[in-house]
Amino acid sequence: MRKIPIDKLEPGMKLARSITKGNMVLLGKDTELAETLIRRIQNIGVDSVYIYGPSQQGIPKDEALTQMEERFKNIENRPYMNLLKDVVREHIEGLYD
Amino acid sequence: MIEMTTKSLRRKVENIDSLPTIPSTLKQISKIIGDPSISLKKIGEFISNDPALTTKVLKMVNSAFYGFPGRISSVSHATVLLGSNVIRGLIVGVSVFEVMQKAMLGLWQHSLGCAVTSRIMAKRKGLKNYDDVYVAGLLHDIGKVILILEFSKEYKKAMNEAEIKDITIFEAERDHFVTNHAYIGSWLAEKWLFPRNLIEVIKYHHNPRLSKNAPIETAIVHLADILIRAMGVGFAGDSFVPAVDPIAFEALNLSKMDLKEILKEMEDSLELTEEVYL
Repeated sequence: MRKIPIDKLEPGMKLARSITKGNMVLLGKDTELAETLIRRIQNIGVDSVYIYGPSQQGIPKDEALTQMEERFKNIENRPYMNLLKDVVREHIEGLYD
Repeated sequence: MIEMTTKSLRRKVENIDSLPTIPSTLKQISKIIGDPSISLKKIGEFISNDPALTTKVLKMVNSAFYGFPGRISSVSHATVLLGSNVIRGLIVGVSVFEVMQKAMLGLWQHSLGCAVTSRIMAKRKGLKNYDDVYVAGLLHDIGKVILILEFSKEYKKAMNEAEIKDITIFEAERDHFVTNHAYIGSWLAEKWLFPRNLIEVIKYHHNPRLSKNAPIETAIVHLADILIRAMGVGFAGDSFVPAVDPIAFEALNLSKMDLKEILKEMEDSLELTEEVYL
C-alpha cells in the first residue's frame, strides 16, 4: 500500500483505503479507478489517497540490504536466525519490485 | 555501575509518583492508574480534563488499524469497546512515551511497531485477547523509560557501551544496573495493577521460556520485538537484532510462509498507524 498525491493517479489503480469525508464513505476500499473516477477524486478536495502496491522506499535497495545485514551480524549462527533473516531479506527485496 | 541493591532500586521505581526527575503529568497518571479505589469512570474523567491526552488516546483507537466503523468520540466509549485494561494500557503508553520522546528518539516508534506486530501475530494464532497482546507490545520496554528518566547519565553510558561493543542494550544494562529494563518494567506494571499476563510478558520478553501463565503471549511479543528491529523500524537503544529464543519460536509454530505474511501485514499496518506517531 502507498499514499500517492491525486495528480499521480492512473487508471487501473485500486484503492487500499476508502476515501471518506467526515463519516461518509465516498469511495470504498478496493474500488478500481477508471478515468472518470480519477477526475471525480481530483474534485472532492483530498490531497492524496492510498492505493495498493509496494510503498515507496526512502533509501536505495542495496543500502537497505546492507543495513539489514549489519543489524543481524552478531547472531547469524543462532538457531532460526538465518530463517528470520531470509524472510526479512525477501520482504525488503519485495518492496523494491 | 549504579551502586544499589535490587531491593532499593525496586523501592525507588515503585515511588515513581514522588521522584523529582519524573514529569508531573506522568506522576499524576501513575497515581491514578495505580489506585485500586479509583474507578475507571474517574480515570475517564481525569483524562477528559487533559485534552491533549484525550486526543492522543482517541487518535489511537480511531486509527484505521483498529478498524472500528465510525468514530469513537470519548474515552468512555472506547472503554466499552476495548475493555478497561486495554484503555488503561493505552493511557499509560501514550503518557509515558510522550514524556521521554527526546530522551530516546525512536522508542515510541519501536514500541508502537511492536504492538502492531504483536496484535497481528496474536490474531493469526487465534488468541481472542489480541488487544491485550497489543498493549503488552506497546508497554514491553516501559522499564527503559524509567531508567532513562531516573538514571539518565548511567543509561547513556550503557547505550554507548552497546554501540562500542556491538552488543544489545539488554546485554549492556548488565554492566550498569543490578537488574534489567524487563524486570523494572514488570515492577511498574505490578504497581499499576495491570493484569497478571501483562506483567509476565513485560518481565520475560527477553526470556519467554520462563513465562508460566502467558507463554504464547510472551513468545509473541518476544518475536515481534525481534521482527520490528529486523525491519529497522524505530530505535530501542541499540542497533542489533537480538537472537530468538528457540523454544518460544517453536511454540509459535510459524512457517516461513506465515512469517512472510506477517511482515506484509506489518508493513501495511505500520502505514495505517503513522498518524498516531506522537
